[in-house]
Amino acid sequence: MIVNRLIEKAMNKAEGAQASLGQGESTDVSFENDRLKSVRSSQSTAMGVRIIVDGRIGSSHTTDIDDVDGVVARALEAAEFGGPAHFRFPDPQEGPDVRVYDDRVPPVTKEEMVRIGGEMITLVKEYNPDILLSAGVSKGISYCQFANSAGIGHTTEDTTFTVWINGQLIRGTDILWAGHGFGWKKREIDHVSIAKKAIELFRMAEDTARIKSGDMPVIFAPEGVNVLVLALRLGFNGKNVFLGSSPLARKLGEKIADERFSIADNPLLDYASGSSTYDGEGVPHQVTRLIEGGVVKNFLYDLDTAGRAGTRTTGNGVGCDPTNLVIKEADTPYEAMVKDTKEGLLVHNVLGLGQGNPMSGEFSVNVELGYKIENGEVVGRVKDVMLAGNTYAALKNIAAIGDKAEWAGGLLLTPPIQVGRLSVVAK
Amino acid sequence: MRERIEKALRKSDAEYTEIRIEAVTSSWVDFRGQELDSIGSSRTLGGIVRALVKGGWGYVTFNDLSDLETRVREACGSARLVGEGESTLGEVEPVVDEIRASFERDFRQIPLSEKKSVIEEYNKIILGYHERIETSNVSYTDSFRKFWYGNSEGTYIEDERPDVGVRISATAREGDNVQRGFESIAGGGGFQIIEGLQEKAEVTARRAVDLLSAPPVTGGKYPVIINPRLAGVFAHEAFGHLSESDFVYENDRMRELMVLGKRLGPDILNIVDDGTIRGLRGTHKYDDEGVRAGKNYLIKEGILVGRLHSRETAARMGEQPTGNARAIGYQYQPIVRMTNTYIDRAGAVLEDMIKDVKLGLYALDMVGGQTSMEMFTFSAAYGYMVRHGNIAELVRDVVLTGNVFETLMNIDMIGDTVEWPPAGGGCGKGGQSPLPVGLGGPYVRIQNVVVGGRQG
Repeated sequence: MIVNRLIEKAMNKAEGAQASLGQGESTDVSFENDRLKSVRSSQSTAMGVRIIVDGRIGSSHTTDIDDVDGVVARALEAAEFGGPAHFRFPDPQEGPDVRVYDDRVPPVTKEEMVRIGGEMITLVKEYNPDILLSAGVSKGISYCQFANSAGIGHTTEDTTFTVWINGQLIRGTDILWAGHGFGWKKREIDHVSIAKKAIELFRMAEDTARIKSGDMPVIFAPEGVNVLVLALRLGFNGKNVFLGSSPLARKLGEKIADERFSIADNPLLDYASGSSTYDGEGVPHQVTRLIEGGVVKNFLYDLDTAGRAGTRTTGNGVGCDPTNLVIKEADTPYEAMVKDTKEGLLVHNVLGLGQGNPMSGEFSVNVELGYKIENGEVVGRVKDVMLAGNTYAALKNIAAIGDKAEWAGGLLLTPPIQVGRLSVVAK
Repeated sequence: MRERIEKALRKSDAEYTEIRIEAVTSSWVDFRGQELDSIGSSRTLGGIVRALVKGGWGYVTFNDLSDLETRVREACGSARLVGEGESTLGEVEPVVDEIRASFERDFRQIPLSEKKSVIEEYNKIILGYHERIETSNVSYTDSFRKFWYGNSEGTYIEDERPDVGVRISATAREGDNVQRGFESIAGGGGFQIIEGLQEKAEVTARRAVDLLSAPPVTGGKYPVIINPRLAGVFAHEAFGHLSESDFVYENDRMRELMVLGKRLGPDILNIVDDGTIRGLRGTHKYDDEGVRAGKNYLIKEGILVGRLHSRETAARMGEQPTGNARAIGYQYQPIVRMTNTYIDRAGAVLEDMIKDVKLGLYALDMVGGQTSMEMFTFSAAYGYMVRHGNIAELVRDVVLTGNVFETLMNIDMIGDTVEWPPAGGGCGKGGQSPLPVGLGGPYVRIQNVVVGGRQG
């Protein structure tokens, strides 16, 4: 294996090394403005090494599979000035069982991908021919070799399949965008239900509703829950915790959220986008509970950060970032949440997320796709509305959590969540 | 390389074919807190073939350059699968040109140790600034991109695009209150642009500490004065994206909404996209379709007068290509993008913008922005309330929103100087991010801007 040659080469001068080689092929079919627009195929290669020399780390990567000598030499040069290593490359360990390869993905033809996109467009057009549509269908296959100087050597193969549709409806100067999509490592995606979800979002927006500025209850649909989760992605990152920039630093074991709220990092869900057997440092993946019953349980670590913080890696290397985040279901049906709301907001998509100070939990976003709820019913789309609040305050003020979780994008599995009161500013 | 590209192009049976090969060398140094978090370098070589048949596009992207001819045939095959209409491409004169980057200090000649020591100093300044500084993140990146581009019409271009930048971030903390100061400097001019930033590092640290005691802005509707850095994001998000013709050319309703000659702003408003301004990050001689970049007026005296095109959108709308087809790298096809977009100067000065404001907001520097064409947001790094004509207390969490069909009309004063602060970052569209763009402008005052936040 090429990675073994990289390790061998590096170990002439280094005291430890890891190497990876990724090779992938993918095909994307794109529809724009109601029509098939392009077909793209791509071939990719990425090879990298990370080494420790005299206790210092350096790294380098390249797309040239023949440049074994060069990539090692550049990593050695970097290590000369590198930061201190707080870890040793890990010994081989048995990995958990998680499915990431579907043999039904490779044989999918471009023609079949074109058919899937075309059928979705036809369905939405049947609902309203004025909606202008774009859509995409993608498949990918990738192969990865990994090795380190402590004896790890493994190869993995995985597949991906993604389907999405997005529509635009213009009425006067009013521009409405809505759409839906899903991607994972399995061929099985019901594109008809994706198109139907997009239609439902347009249907709910047939009327426009006016909303007055003030504090009101807000229901975050699964996609909308990303507004709350952004701060948690940053806050549970072990590096931010260790450096003290996370507001959760020093809060292990503290209750920070409503007791119905639990969230975990789970890279072991079969076929999910963020799933795999090992992390980027060859450490077996595991489920890490982050908040359980409202209480902070763990943070996410990679090898080096765990070494600095005096704890163990959670298999979130390199970078301490989450894989798939899963929020636990509770007991309120979505319909009941809407029905029990006298006046409130339902949020699907926002503009400007992450453009304030997301680490602090503060958010202030334009509600790009959101609806007004009045006397227990969704009465229409709201526009030119800003929603503001703080994730950590909102988590203590949860009114209800849905009883059914759905994928919001590919990396968050969550039920809808209703927050008691948030600030809404309308035009 | 020219011979290889031209030989491969001859294998094409498409109506139009192009090949772009790109080699990138880059390095990075990243401090987080006391310690160096990451240091390293990378080399990338890749390419894209794009073929057009009956209005349908086939693309192939690759890292393995060994068999260009096969890639060309594959792109042609994909294009044939798609095409069932008519191909249209705006006419441009074929060119043959070789461009060499010229800069003061070539960062490729500077050892990693020197790159490290320059930013290590900034990092120390932040960490030593104040006891409330909790941590820091100072990172350096550089990249040198070399392109070889050829198409089936005879154009052949070699181009070099260097980019170097530093991001400086300081985090201050008091109990649960965590605030951040942020600066980014980037440009194509050479290593010297990221030297001598000691004062910037100190200002960044001071801002983080000052924001600890600043209240969040109270939500509501205000007259807002924005500084040149924020005016750049405003021009980009509030209007720039709407002038990108790929949103318009096959969209009858959008064509009606964006018909040339329509009034979108007051007489004092001129908005320009100019890919020729020396030293800015959106500047290049040719775009990624080999079309010469230009200075394009989008709004003149409040009236929509132009838009940004690729060769395809220009031909379909019966307009001229503008040199705005850009790709972030070889993995992507060129799409219609801005270069350096700005509101042109008018006659006002900052003092006059502030002096008659009873209650308003002075918003400075940028964190980012986003648009859905009609509605948009743009975020300031910090702001001050304006009370009775005077700049008053510092406020944080300043995110502004607007609606293109109203907000531009609400601009009532524009400053007398266009400034181009050398900011880093970039623009995202169609999965391609970040694309280097120039963001600048004059001071601008806008009435009735909705600002998010809790209500007082």
